[in-house]
Amino acid sequence: MRLAILALILAVPRAPLMAQQASAIQPAAARGATTDSAAARAQAQAGLSSRTPVEAAETARVQLGRAAMDSLRELITKFRRDPQAVPLPPNDEVAMGGRTIAAGTQVDGPIAVAGGPLHVYGTVNGDAVAVGGDIIVHGGGRVTGNAVSALGAVALEGGTVVGEMRQLAGTIGEVPRAAAAPETRVGATRHAVALASSWLVILVLIGIGVLVFANSYLEGVTESLEGRFGRSFWAGIAAQLALAPVLALLIVALAVTVLGILLIPFAIVAFVLAIVGLITLGFLAVARITGESLAPGTRRGYHENGAALRALVVGVVLYMGLWVVASAFAWAPMVETILRGIAVAITWVAATAGLGAAVLSRGGTRRPSASLAAVAPVNDVPWQTPTPVTGVVAARRPTPASTHRER
Amino acid sequence: MKNGPAALLGSFVAATLGASSLTAQSWRSLDVARQLADSSPTAVQVVYGTGMFGLRGTSNPLLYHMQLRYDATRSQPRHAFDPATRKLQLGVQKSDVRFTGRSDNEDGRLQLELSRVTPLDLSLDLGAVEADLDLTGLKLSRLQIESGASEGKLRFDSLNATPMSVLQVSLGAASFRGERLANANARDIRVDAGVGNVELDLGGQWTQDIDLKVEVTLGIVTIHVPSDVGVHVSVRKTLASFDHEGLIERDGAWVSRNWESAPRKLRISAETVFGKLTIDKTGR
Repeated sequence: MRLAILALILAVPRAPLMAQQASAIQPAAARGATTDSAAARAQAQAGLSSRTPVEAAETARVQLGRAAMDSLRELITKFRRDPQAVPLPPNDEVAMGGRTIAAGTQVDGPIAVAGGPLHVYGTVNGDAVAVGGDIIVHGGGRVTGNAVSALGAVALEGGTVVGEMRQLAGTIGEVPRAAAAPETRVGATRHAVALASSWLVILVLIGIGVLVFANSYLEGVTESLEGRFGRSFWAGIAAQLALAPVLALLIVALAVTVLGILLIPFAIVAFVLAIVGLITLGFLAVARITGESLAPGTRRGYHENGAALRALVVGVVLYMGLWVVASAFAWAPMVETILRGIAVAITWVAATAGLGAAVLSRGGTRRPSASLAAVAPVNDVPWQTPTPVTGVVAARRPTPASTHRER
Repeated sequence: MKNGPAALLGSFVAATLGASSLTAQSWRSLDVARQLADSSPTAVQVVYGTGMFGLRGTSNPLLYHMQLRYDATRSQPRHAFDPATRKLQLGVQKSDVRFTGRSDNEDGRLQLELSRVTPLDLSLDLGAVEADLDLTGLKLSRLQIESGASEGKLRFDSLNATPMSVLQVSLGAASFRGERLANANARDIRVDAGVGNVELDLGGQWTQDIDLKVEVTLGIVTIHVPSDVGVHVSVRKTLASFDHEGLIERDGAWVSRNWESAPRKLRISAETVFGKLTIDKTGR
């Protein structure tokens, strides 16, 4: 059986499809040598007799052995499931070894052959199909439907195909579902590690972006976290619990007005973006503090910005590294589950505290030290404007915030 | 230890690529053609996602001839013709046109031949493809090309026998070169690109004046114009440069010295941000 299948596969012309089709649409004289290519070669490979005279009906039929018939039936079954196939008649109506539609005759389609050529001198009312064989439409021949060949060619030698001429090559049959592809343990592990690593890289990149473009906000959240981790954590939990009610209130408030209804979709998107932004900012602040505690760069003489970057990267790598490590054990589901549980717990605590700090600091715009500085006394007397005589050099009056910065 | 970040990034890329190559594939080849029944005008829409795409005309008595090699797990062929409405759809299913960033779809290819007898309203909807569009000899009444991220070459080696109402090219991130575009026989040519290099050669047979509108957000636009064609350029640019050698400024626009006397005229309306616009009037 395998020999016969191999023979059929080998019967597929090795020439490029372009060459096949080009020959298909050329006059008969130019195609004479190739008309029986697929079937003849299939039979030759299988050691079967091959005679393909085209003058008389049924003389094109090829004698097939039992094994070849079985393999052809398998191929027909596959073809029926192929998305590019056309409906076929029942198996017992498929002409095994080929068929000739004589001149002046009409047959109702679909007609199908397998393992041999289909010569059309007359008229096929409907589709003509060849599985493992060619379809040759000779002068005066006509196919009113489609002419479809699987692992063969469709050749026009003066005839007409009203529908489409279709040739299928390569794999025939049902399309495998991508999700059904079995993934090895190694493959699954690599996939999981790649996913976790990509998140790590993304977070590092986001962190660098925040350091460059929004460092003051990050510092605000960081200050809010320092020394008040517990308060930030509980604020984070409260914020998480309040998310849904706040969103519902927002929607209701907008729905009260007619114009507000139109804004609801935008408000939802903006709300989600704001929450995601706060969580990210808070998480980065937690990562930075963690990194500073583990890798105190400033003590080693790093520049302030360099130390901040180092601390942030160390922190993010630490937290996301938990996920990468957990992913690396994807080949051992039990270990992976435990490690993932640990990673989830630690990440949730960090994100919750970060969210709380971000909320308490109003996204890093309000610092706890600012409120202390606000009550710091300022001696106004030295800054009272003297009576101008010939002009006074402008000087900046200290504000509570600047006074605090100078400290 | 100094190479830590680079090693991390390398590992990440390797792991990602390694993981992406695990999915099952089912490569198939489909060859479809349809005999030409008449020469009525036909609207052709071609959709193709990723791979190599070639398009040219055929003198064989065929309306179309499509050869497609595709991974059946990712895309499904599309080949439908409605004789009543004269609408022809070819390529792959529309939903399959997406950029996956995966390199293993590079084996996919679409080779398409269209009738040179039938007037065609041709629309190409391409994803991330490497396209070679030889439209020589086709009868195109309209041509619209939309592409996401592609490297495309379009050429007309002979005059389009049918006047083209509009030639429109919309590109996302692409490198695009149009050769002998005057042969397109289009009065209105529009090129819109997000990011990329666009090179337009307006050589060929000029049958009428041409209005060319070019919008490129980020990239280099080079327009080659025959020396005997008069050029009028109005440019709106932001942080972009404009190489106007051989042109003189007049009423806020730039014109060639032969603007009034030229038998054929090209009016260019260009808009670019962060780019460079060059008008080459050396007659290339």
